[in-house]
Amino acid sequence: MKILFFAHLRDATGCAEIERHFGAVDAAGLWDRLIAEFPALGKFRPGVRLARNGEYVDPGAHFSDADEVALIPPVSGG
Amino acid sequence: MEAKIEIELTARAIDLCRELPAEFAAVAGARVEFAGNVRGEENGRAIAALEYEAYSPMAEREMRRILEDILQRHDCLFVRVTHRTGIVPVGEAAVHVVALARHRAAALALVPEFMNRLKQDVPIWKRRALSEADLKMI
Repeated sequence: MKILFFAHLRDATGCAEIERHFGAVDAAGLWDRLIAEFPALGKFRPGVRLARNGEYVDPGAHFSDADEVALIPPVSGG
Repeated sequence: MEAKIEIELTARAIDLCRELPAEFAAVAGARVEFAGNVRGEENGRAIAALEYEAYSPMAEREMRRILEDILQRHDCLFVRVTHRTGIVPVGEAAVHVVALARHRAAALALVPEFMNRLKQDVPIWKRRALSEADLKMI
């Protein structure tokens, strides 16, 4: 799956996107893997929403390797 | 009649006087606009610009979804939303919303509701504040 990082999450990971093969994974499993690879993401987790293929998903959502997953920190447009 | 929606993310200055579709000239009794400008101060310090970042495909989709929802309750004819990305100098508009409606109530209601929801759900971020010195280094 392609995983996108925005705003300060990009600073925390040092990259805008990564490609990983996690297989079928739920949101908690995805977070576990990401925080294991990028420990600096951990403190932001409570305020970050997940999007799958450009749409917000519930915390219980599942993901596959075909998905584009975005970590959406609190927005500040306008 | 279903409202016409135009959404644009742009790295260029927003033309606040951009022409509106002629088809609504004779039926729109109300035109309500909002421009959100970059102020010269952010968190108590003087700035020269803000840099915006967007998850563009989702931002455009989310803005459309929000507008379609609001339009079910507020019967407008036309809505155009333009949002800047990249560096936006102080004094320039970061966002511009124009709503046309037959009567003022719908357009007056749509614009603030849309702005509130944009600030909650649309994946656009103020990435950083830039000083004059920062701008010279870019």
